[in-house]
Amino acid sequence: MTIGWTTAHVPTLNEAPQIFLEEQLARARSGEPAALKSLIQAHRRLVYSLALRMLGTRDLAEDLTQDVFMQLHAKLKTIESPGHLTFWLRKVTTHRAIDQLRRRTRVPMTSLQDEHEGSAVEDGGDPLWQRHLRLLLLDLAAPARAVVLLRFQEDLDPGDIARTLGMSVNTVKSHLKRSLETLRQRTIRP
Amino acid sequence: MSHDIESKLRTALRPVTPSDEFTQRLVAQITAQGAASAAARRRPLAGARRYGWWVSAGLAASLVIAIGVQRHIQEDRDRENGAEARREVVEALRMTSQKLDLAYEAVKSQSPEAGAEQPRA
Repeated sequence: MTIGWTTAHVPTLNEAPQIFLEEQLARARSGEPAALKSLIQAHRRLVYSLALRMLGTRDLAEDLTQDVFMQLHAKLKTIESPGHLTFWLRKVTTHRAIDQLRRRTRVPMTSLQDEHEGSAVEDGGDPLWQRHLRLLLLDLAAPARAVVLLRFQEDLDPGDIARTLGMSVNTVKSHLKRSLETLRQRTIRP
Repeated sequence: MSHDIESKLRTALRPVTPSDEFTQRLVAQITAQGAASAAARRRPLAGARRYGWWVSAGLAASLVIAIGVQRHIQEDRDRENGAEARREVVEALRMTSQKLDLAYEAVKSQSPEAGAEQPRA
């Protein structure tokens, strides 16, 4: 059975009510392709954003997003609830990104194309300044980068970050403190 | 200053949505993977592949047992052949012994007459 692509609106993670996600998860676990598609659409933003900010390029982020959802499809039976699903996606995405970065000797520079994200102008912020901040983030070590992203992109508290990354809360706090200090020093304009 | 960088990070790190084209591709791939794995589950061969290790181990164990049984049968057969050969040798010796006894008796029964005539001649 194949799924036809429709332009019908599927709620993203922030928009989707819990009951909708629970229902979709149950249906996806029973092998319904349409429900799996809804889950992917609801969570693609989360996975892709983490992958993009961790790895720095759109191509790598798309590859990682694909791998994560493939793995999710294989492990769907073990996912117990929508909360567990979100936790699992954050955990697998960050761990796989950290593994990739550790294997790589050099962090690639983010291209202008990859940075065409469109949020800055909407917020009235300086797009160049935000791009500069995102590039500075790529200079942080992989675990520290993951901690910063989970804190400021995903808005998790240190306890949740510790559980996601398998670190102690003190290590998370230490990464946050050092990373913010580094970013602050590097963003001071002369 | 710290709060300043934090708010700037929150703004700079707003989640981004991947392109619809990518999402479409992703959904198609995962659906295809699902269909492929469902088809594999339906095939009996897929079960054998999943338990391939156990099947191999079972085959290896069967082979070892078969070789052991074969060797045991061969040893039994050799033992029987040996016993049969021994019986034949014993029988041959017994027959030879009988023939020798007969020959001896014949020689013995003829010996006095021959012995008596010879000195006279």
